[in-house]
Amino acid sequence: MSAAPGLERPQVVSHAQQALNYTVFDCKWVPRSARLLCLGSAARGTGLVQLYELRGARLELLREIEKPKPIKCGTFGATSLQQRYLATGDFDGNLNIWNLEAPEIPVYSVKGHKEIINSIDGVGGLGIGEGAPEIVTGSRDGTVKVWDPRQKDTPVANMEPVQGESKRDCWTVAFGNAYNQEERVVCAGYDNGDIKLFDLKTMSLRWETNIKNGVCSVEFDRKDINMNKLVATSLEGKFHVFDMRTQHPTKGFASVSEKAQKSTIWQVRHLPQNRDIFMTSGGSGSLHLWKYEYPAQRSKKDSEGAEMGVAGSVSLLQNVTLSTQPISSLDWSPDKKGLCVCGAFDQTVRVLIVTKLNKI
Amino acid sequence: MPLWLREHRWHQTPAAVFLSLPLRGARATPANIFCSERYLKVSIPPFLFEAILYAPIDDTNSTAKIGNGNIFFTLYKKEPAMWDSLTLENADKEKLQHIRENAVLKAQQKAREETEAKKATQEEHKKYALEATMKLEEAERKRIEDLKEKERQKVTEELELWRNQQKDADKYKSIQKEGELHQEIGQLKERRSEKITKTRIPNEGTSKTRPKPTKGCHGSCSIFLPNAKEEELPAPRSAATIKVNFTPRVFPTALRESRVAEEEEWLHKQAEARRTISADLSELEDLKEEEKNPDWLKDKGNKMFAMGNYLAAVNAYNLAVRLNNKLPLLYLNRAACHLKLRNLHKAIEDSSKALELLTPPVPDNEEARVKAYVRRGTAFCQLELYTEGLQDYEAALKIDPKNKNIEKDAEKIRHLIQGTMQCS
Repeated sequence: MSAAPGLERPQVVSHAQQALNYTVFDCKWVPRSARLLCLGSAARGTGLVQLYELRGARLELLREIEKPKPIKCGTFGATSLQQRYLATGDFDGNLNIWNLEAPEIPVYSVKGHKEIINSIDGVGGLGIGEGAPEIVTGSRDGTVKVWDPRQKDTPVANMEPVQGESKRDCWTVAFGNAYNQEERVVCAGYDNGDIKLFDLKTMSLRWETNIKNGVCSVEFDRKDINMNKLVATSLEGKFHVFDMRTQHPTKGFASVSEKAQKSTIWQVRHLPQNRDIFMTSGGSGSLHLWKYEYPAQRSKKDSEGAEMGVAGSVSLLQNVTLSTQPISSLDWSPDKKGLCVCGAFDQTVRVLIVTKLNKI
Repeated sequence: MPLWLREHRWHQTPAAVFLSLPLRGARATPANIFCSERYLKVSIPPFLFEAILYAPIDDTNSTAKIGNGNIFFTLYKKEPAMWDSLTLENADKEKLQHIRENAVLKAQQKAREETEAKKATQEEHKKYALEATMKLEEAERKRIEDLKEKERQKVTEELELWRNQQKDADKYKSIQKEGELHQEIGQLKERRSEKITKTRIPNEGTSKTRPKPTKGCHGSCSIFLPNAKEEELPAPRSAATIKVNFTPRVFPTALRESRVAEEEEWLHKQAEARRTISADLSELEDLKEEEKNPDWLKDKGNKMFAMGNYLAAVNAYNLAVRLNNKLPLLYLNRAACHLKLRNLHKAIEDSSKALELLTPPVPDNEEARVKAYVRRGTAFCQLELYTEGLQDYEAALKIDPKNKNIEKDAEKIRHLIQGTMQCS
């Protein structure tokens, strides 16, 4: 690779890193600040929340909170900008919402699931979008539940297996299509390769498909717009980008898939400032930065006259290998374009800067 | 006998000796000249010139010029002195020989040393070249690193700037909040004073708890705001459940494309094993233990056959086959029953199945195979398919040539065939 053209592409620059003495499962930026949270499990089987501040090229630990059960995932998606409460799911199936200033007692707590909560997402908070703030959790017990922090103990929506059906682990959940107060969808990915799209306005299953490999992560490019694109990553190094604007009655949504590497793709995260750029993190410790290009026509008519979507193409902008262990969590900063944090199973959290994103 | 060249001319200075040697028409090349410290020889067959020099010379620096039918030697003396003569006159043969040999040896040694020196210099050159390339590459790498470093620094600076902005923004916001808070408290107090009869809002107490000036107000001001905000937010959704069906998967592990083939195979084998073990559980529940044993059933079948109760024998064999469909003897015996019952097609089927199971053909199952062939042959003949029948009988004969019965029957069939052919 000659120097000149190589340096025109976005570069992933490692800005700071921090070695931790516990396993980190999720890392999130605190909105409107240069602070980040690391959630994980300490060796003695308790949960840890650590708050770091980015100072110069170092991460400084501001606060450490220990909880009885290891914490798997967290989100700020459903809180207001002033409150900035953290919602977490832990290994025991409890959903808790914490005020980080007073973390001894949770603001909201419910034993939502019988088994570990694998994934959590929030919508309606942070000044993004409209509608009630809601939190969705997906668990190994095969259910996906939507919670409203104002309603105690019972979920406002429950997607559970039919009676007698054997359950599959739900590995990932995401909100989308929340462009007005009534509309909302939840997308869930399961370990048998199922992706299901639930419409919360009509309380029904809107679409389902199977991508032949366990689904590790799903994300809409934006939660608060008419659903545009959905990226689903899976085992065996594949990911699929679905064009969600046109739903065909039998064929569903059009998609393009890419096989990036031999190992599992653990996470996908879209850049908050540009919804066509997303980053995938892999089991080989690598990060790939992708750009989606729309086709000339996003929909066309098929032989019976029904509208069918046309998928575009995906191109690789940059890739970098940071670690030998899987990078299990990734988060872009909503305030500074290109700033992101990733946590890997080598017990390190890294702050990275992706340059030249303005030129794309 | 070489021709000696003696017409040489020489003259000397204290440092060197100059020797001129006419060549009488012969052509000389550097290979013909041999020179060492004390010995000089020019050999152009058939001409020969040699000289044992008076004193040692420096043979590396001495030169010889070939041209104009002449060789012109410039020999530099080791010790600057005037020589009495060019050669040692009074040297006897032995000494000459000795000196010659020495000279040769010395020349060889010199040659060796020269090659070694050459090698050494070559290696030096290679090393130098390598180091030079390494330096170039290093420089290139450094250049790229520098570029990257510059990027990094630029970005870090931007980040710092942004962070400071954030801090300032935060501070500013918190100051604003305090201001608003005071306003709110003022407003609420006014409102409360109006609604004295309404239920008391116990918020006043909490407004006093403001432990930290900057952060704490976030917590407490939210207690005021939700009353206003909640009117804007829609009510929580009415609870509902969506029932979900999953794509069926037998294994509890996640689905991976690369493992699908393995999994299919495993399932297939499991299905096979289960089928043979418990064919139809509901029916078998009525039977006693021994009746579930294929061997016991076979024996029962054999007894029935012996008694002439062919239908019962067939039933026994059927059940045995359901339990274990890999025993050739069951098919064999059932074929015999069918023959007796004149179910010829079934007899053929069963004998064929028995033969299939009796592969590989080894001496152990000779008897069984013979029986199978014979039975099938009989069935064919009774169906008047004599050629096929004959084939089977001949196969049986091949296995067991000594069996008279089979021979006889084979003969009969042949006659029958020939007979029919003659008629038609």
